[in-house]
Amino acid sequence: MSTYEWLLSLHVTGAFLFLGGGAAAGILNLRAWHAERPSEVALLLRLIARVAVPAIGIGSIMTLLIGLWLVHNAGYSYGTFWVWAGTVLWVVAGALGARGGSYQSKAGVEAARLADAGDTMTAELRALVRDPVGNALSYGSGLTLLLILILMIWKPGQ
Amino acid sequence: MIAILRPHSWDFPLFLHVFGAMVLFGAILATTTLSFVGWRLPEVRAVSRSTFWALLAGAIPAWIVMRIGAQWAYSKEHHQLFEGTPTWLAVGLGVADAGLIILLLATGFAFWWQRSQKAIAGRVVSGLAVLYLILLAVAWLAMSGKWGS
Repeated sequence: MSTYEWLLSLHVTGAFLFLGGGAAAGILNLRAWHAERPSEVALLLRLIARVAVPAIGIGSIMTLLIGLWLVHNAGYSYGTFWVWAGTVLWVVAGALGARGGSYQSKAGVEAARLADAGDTMTAELRALVRDPVGNALSYGSGLTLLLILILMIWKPGQ
Repeated sequence: MIAILRPHSWDFPLFLHVFGAMVLFGAILATTTLSFVGWRLPEVRAVSRSTFWALLAGAIPAWIVMRIGAQWAYSKEHHQLFEGTPTWLAVGLGVADAGLIILLLATGFAFWWQRSQKAIAGRVVSGLAVLYLILLAVAWLAMSGKWGS
């Protein structure tokens, strides 16, 4: 395998962790919507923090660092539209995901508190889990990742 | 330098294939996580229920998108970029097709698990999910690194 192919393999591995972690977070989040008890909500949101978020974090760093190396190795220009737009969207996805995650953390804390106090679902917890702003931020982050994938495949401006 | 040589008319099939594969990986990651949590918390029904839905509503539709994209891309690239079946393609096709069997078995066992709450069903799902995660990683490494080309 050439250096280019090694770098591409590692870049794609990062992308699988990044987007796959996002998909796993989305699935677990949707399951938390349908949970019947606060202890279940707390568990599902904790799994996002312990499994999906680390995958997203490792994947995001890998895609950026190896992606920039790949641009240099393959002889692309850093000023090309798809390269700089992908980098800007990478920052946007991270910012939206981090902000959305803070809403989920708040829901997780409330779910854990209710789980210790009788484990009965309340309207407040359901509203926190289904908060439109928090979910829009998290799923907006996922959509931004999709846009990055589109840029990486179509390479507009190349 | 496949990306440089590839005509734009091949981009959409490739996008479907890669996007489907990434969502499939995420769904199997969620399945693996949930099924292992089920070992520790067998009394929490949400775990087995969520495992079943992650497979049925996440992994299976993603597999279909991935496989349609793969076949479409193959029909465009075959005879133009490669002849015969290079190693990377054989690995990808093998994992995709064997993966469907693993996926259907895992979904069947997850259904049994959520209905019966039998621990053995959850453990079989864990084993199948870990196996599929490993196979998916081998497939993306082989296909992106163009093994044997």
